Amino acid sequence: MDFTLNNRPVAVPEDEGDEPLLFVLRDRFGLNGPRFGCGVGSCGACTVVVDGQAQRACTLPVAAIAGRAVVTLEGIATDGGLHPLQQAWIAERVPQCGYCQNGQIMTAYAQLSAQPDADAAQVAQAMDEVLCRCGTQMRIRRAIASAQRALGQAR
Amino acid sequence: MMARLSRRAILRALGWGAAGITATVGTACSLMPTLPPRDAPTTADLAAWISLRPDGMVEILSTRVEMGQGIAIALRQIAADELGLDIDQVRWVPPDTARIPVCRATVGSDSVRETGPLIARAAAALAQAIKAEAARRMNAAPAALAIGPGGVAGPDGRTLALADIAAGRAIHVSEAEIAAAGTALSAGRRRLVGASPPPQDIDAVVTGARALYADDIRLPGMVFGARIRPAGLTAEIAAIDDSACRAIPGYLGLFRDGNVAGIVATRRGALAQARAALVVSETAGHPTTSADIMRQVAVDDGAAGREHTILARGDTAGPFDIDLTLSVPLAAHAAIEPRTAVARFDADGRLEIWTGTQDAFFVRNTIADALGLARARVVVHAMRIGGGFGARTIVAAEMDAALLARACGRPVKVQWNRRDEFQAGFHRPPSVHRVALAADGDGNIARWHHGFRSGHIIFTSAAMGPVLQMATSLAADPGVARGAVPPYAAAAIRVEFEDVRLPVMTGPWRGLGAAANIWAMETAIDALARAKGRDPLSFRLQAIAPQHARLRAVLAAVAEMSGWAAGRGDLGLACGIYKDMSYAAAVAQVTRDGGRYRVAKLWCAQDCGLVVNPGQVRAQIEGNLVWGIGMALAEELAVADGRVAPESFFDYPLPRFSDVPDIEIRLIEGSSVPTGAGETAIVCGTAAITNAIAALTGRTVTRLPVAAA
Repeated sequence: MDFTLNNRPVAVPEDEGDEPLLFVLRDRFGLNGPRFGCGVGSCGACTVVVDGQAQRACTLPVAAIAGRAVVTLEGIATDGGLHPLQQAWIAERVPQCGYCQNGQIMTAYAQLSAQPDADAAQVAQAMDEVLCRCGTQMRIRRAIASAQRALGQAR
Repeated sequence: MMARLSRRAILRALGWGAAGITATVGTACSLMPTLPPRDAPTTADLAAWISLRPDGMVEILSTRVEMGQGIAIALRQIAADELGLDIDQVRWVPPDTARIPVCRATVGSDSVRETGPLIARAAAALAQAIKAEAARRMNAAPAALAIGPGGVAGPDGRTLALADIAAGRAIHVSEAEIAAAGTALSAGRRRLVGASPPPQDIDAVVTGARALYADDIRLPGMVFGARIRPAGLTAEIAAIDDSACRAIPGYLGLFRDGNVAGIVATRRGALAQARAALVVSETAGHPTTSADIMRQVAVDDGAAGREHTILARGDTAGPFDIDLTLSVPLAAHAAIEPRTAVARFDADGRLEIWTGTQDAFFVRNTIADALGLARARVVVHAMRIGGGFGARTIVAAEMDAALLARACGRPVKVQWNRRDEFQAGFHRPPSVHRVALAADGDGNIARWHHGFRSGHIIFTSAAMGPVLQMATSLAADPGVARGAVPPYAAAAIRVEFEDVRLPVMTGPWRGLGAAANIWAMETAIDALARAKGRDPLSFRLQAIAPQHARLRAVLAAVAEMSGWAAGRGDLGLACGIYKDMSYAAAVAQVTRDGGRYRVAKLWCAQDCGLVVNPGQVRAQIEGNLVWGIGMALAEELAVADGRVAPESFFDYPLPRFSDVPDIEIRLIEGSSVPTGAGETAIVCGTAAITNAIAALTGRTVTRLPVAAA
């Protein structure tokens, strides 16, 4: 069973097709970005981007992404350096404990990739789906706005 | 009397010592650690914490774990300033029981306050040790040398790189050098203290580039395990049938160790399937509900004396201007990282554990004792914690992993699922407060009576066996008492409480008792001001006791920031003192929005003394205020049919992105030492919001959370 992981072709044994994508990414491919928070899609810490859509990797059997393209937190930087969202996250000092931030960044990444000029209400609608217990929401809002400006200038 | 003495003796024998238990609650309790007290660090401890390594880096072996509060960067800033180095020349190493002497836990907003000045002192001593070694190599007088980012500069223009000075042999400090070093952060050297360099590992958090948390530990041959626990609060496992699990590829089996049972699999997906397929029968427990638990903390006789007296002065018999009964429900920590631990035995029977814990030595000692291992044969590596908030102060997934690793003979990772977190974790106890206040015609408080009842916090059933529970049954739980001494002057005052053993596990939650106690007090004084037709701001400024000038200062600051005006109908105010050391005041603006309340803006002024990293201190304030939004408007952990009801975040609402408004913060440095920021603003956010609701509606909020407008 094949799929593309951060622009690299990978394979998973057929008999592990019902393994949640999150565990395949973490335990087979050794990725640290997507994280386990709830296992039922209620927090968003495991978010990855599949064919451009933000998805909950904890509830997605790996068989469901055969032939598709998965992008994780590890795959959004380019040769030119960190993605503008990652840069903004550092500049705004967003993370506290940091555990949910994969989901925050990947959800914002999916949205800005599809909708670079998303307004505040659209950003809120997407980001309301990802929980943060430390209370970093205000800084996330600032970081996304800052990344939108940087992406706008780059276009 | 005899019974009390014998309990003291038991406590002493169990390592709690007499002082912490028998000290009167009130100010003394703020010094109580969450877990069995440990001695203050010695000069020998300090000497073990810092060194110059052969690679030219200064290395801090931290006693406190990083959980987002910023202890790592704060200690690096302090050490770099003392040594005259750049921030990147100081490395931080998380707590590791094999590398540091026994130390205190990461609790109580104490990390920077307690270890910051000690690291400054150790770094100052290291500077002398580096100069002494450089002087020997350069054949110069130590006093003629200067340390800088480029190394040690001599009088003749020569410079020795730090890596050359420590080449082949790390530079350590002696106890004599520690003793000779100054005892405080030296104001004259500050370059990094007061700035906000990026916190530790922020690059790895935003890229996934390095292992940070316990779940990032992957060992050869490691398998995944789950302990089987009853779902019911008072139930016990009667039988486990795993026959349906055996067909699952990767399922390794059911293992038992004494009365502990768990299952193990090679894949986490297989483990989750096996947990679902497992047939577990448990004894019928008591069908407790939230209402039953609230009844156990009910106060229906506010005038009667209670078990533990915190303050009693003058005659507090009525009449009163206000007499409120205020209730705070059970609540969860709900950190996004579930408890996770990896355990591995080596061929000689030594045990290594990787875990996000607030208290590595408590984990080490508890597991070593339980498994019959010498404590030195258990090593605990404390990993970054994905949200602590008091939940990681006891032993949980660590014991599961250790027992399963011993039972199945392989390294085991145990990661609690979300249902485990709710059902097997411990929670903020519910409490009910009767607050009756009277003021004279000039607005001076004549009578202050606060009686409350709460589940345990420090003497938690989650960490204490029956013997300790019995031993502490007559002692005042200092965690419950925290924050209950009002900052206001009153002619007569009585503050008293009872701690109750509840059928649900309760324990430390951000701010301990202060979160609930100060919410109750700030609700009551606001109601008293309104009952007397007074502006809540000027009423508080008049009532604050003379010794609390720093509280008046933060209150005045937040009033100025928010444009506070008497009679404005959508603002609420609250203030408080945390652990007798740090001061905070907040104003909330609240609007009605489609059947619910929305916090439109928050302002906060805080004085936690010297600020090492303002960006991180502000982040802690933001976090506490967001917790205040949750406390005020959302959080209540339901118990139904004898079990904690929520199984995921679908059933336990937390503040979401659009619930969090812009937050404006001002920091006031009212003391030359840091006094603690991790929990301070928990004292003011909740009541500022509920007082704003009272301003909007004219009705005092008496029950948390406020679900609908």
